[in-house]
Amino acid sequence: MGLQVLIVDDSSLTRRVIEKTLRMTKIQIDGIRHAANGREALVELRSSPCDLVFSDINMPEMNGIEFLDAKNADPKLSGIPVVVISTDSSEGRAEQLKARHVTAFVGKPFTPEMVEKVMSNALEARV
Amino acid sequence: MIGTETSTRANRTVGISEMIVERDTDNVIVTYSLGSCLGVAVFDPVARVGGMIHCMLPLSKIDPAKAQAMPAMFVDTGIPTLLQACFDLGADSKRLRLSVAGAGSPLDDNHVFNIGDRNLAVLRKILWKNSLLIAAEDTGGSEPRTLYLEMKTGEVYLKARGDRRAL
Repeated sequence: MGLQVLIVDDSSLTRRVIEKTLRMTKIQIDGIRHAANGREALVELRSSPCDLVFSDINMPEMNGIEFLDAKNADPKLSGIPVVVISTDSSEGRAEQLKARHVTAFVGKPFTPEMVEKVMSNALEARV
Repeated sequence: MIGTETSTRANRTVGISEMIVERDTDNVIVTYSLGSCLGVAVFDPVARVGGMIHCMLPLSKIDPAKAQAMPAMFVDTGIPTLLQACFDLGADSKRLRLSVAGAGSPLDDNHVFNIGDRNLAVLRKILWKNSLLIAAEDTGGSEPRTLYLEMKTGEVYLKARGDRRAL
């Protein structure tokens, strides 16, 4: 059975680029859902199961850090791995993400190969 | 030169602005002295189709007539030609493993021309349009590279300044 993936980014273009990248990999994916911010992401995660989340940080309404805090505080969602994709790769941000148990970080601009690698690593770590 | 072979022969060298595509051989395909030039090796382990190209420049618009005669000279004409030749021999895009080498700046420390970077950028654009990922990459820097493809196993490796590295 393939994976269920959620992509969280306020840019629909970026979401489509990430989705195309995921579909280019050899990893079997059954479903890819989109959310434009953290609030929408929480609704999606609570509505149906998800194996992996790709999330931006800087988003309106609920940003990536607030989303991670809310997700980690929910026992039903806290085990879902999150890969952060963002332009913000500062040391302070890295510490914030580490404290929130983010699985991996991919800096923008990214290549499809970078996304494939972190996805493979995240899935291996899960097994 | 563009060669497509289905018979088993000896080792074969891909010259500058050339490509070779083969099926079911035991050859070693090699291209030498990749500086800013781009070397791409492809292999489908099921169809046992493999090939290699050595492109000099990113875009064919600077000399369309030359691109017509020697499509492998340019990345934008060479890569589609390489992929199509592989598909014509039975390769499947989902199984194709792409290895990339070169695209450095050996004589351009100040990155005035950026030929290597531009070669790689055009390659990435073509692969993106065709939904193909790079499986392995050894690019940039100033060292000249020699790229090898073992048709018997699909193994790809390169040699640079005496070191051998798997790709």
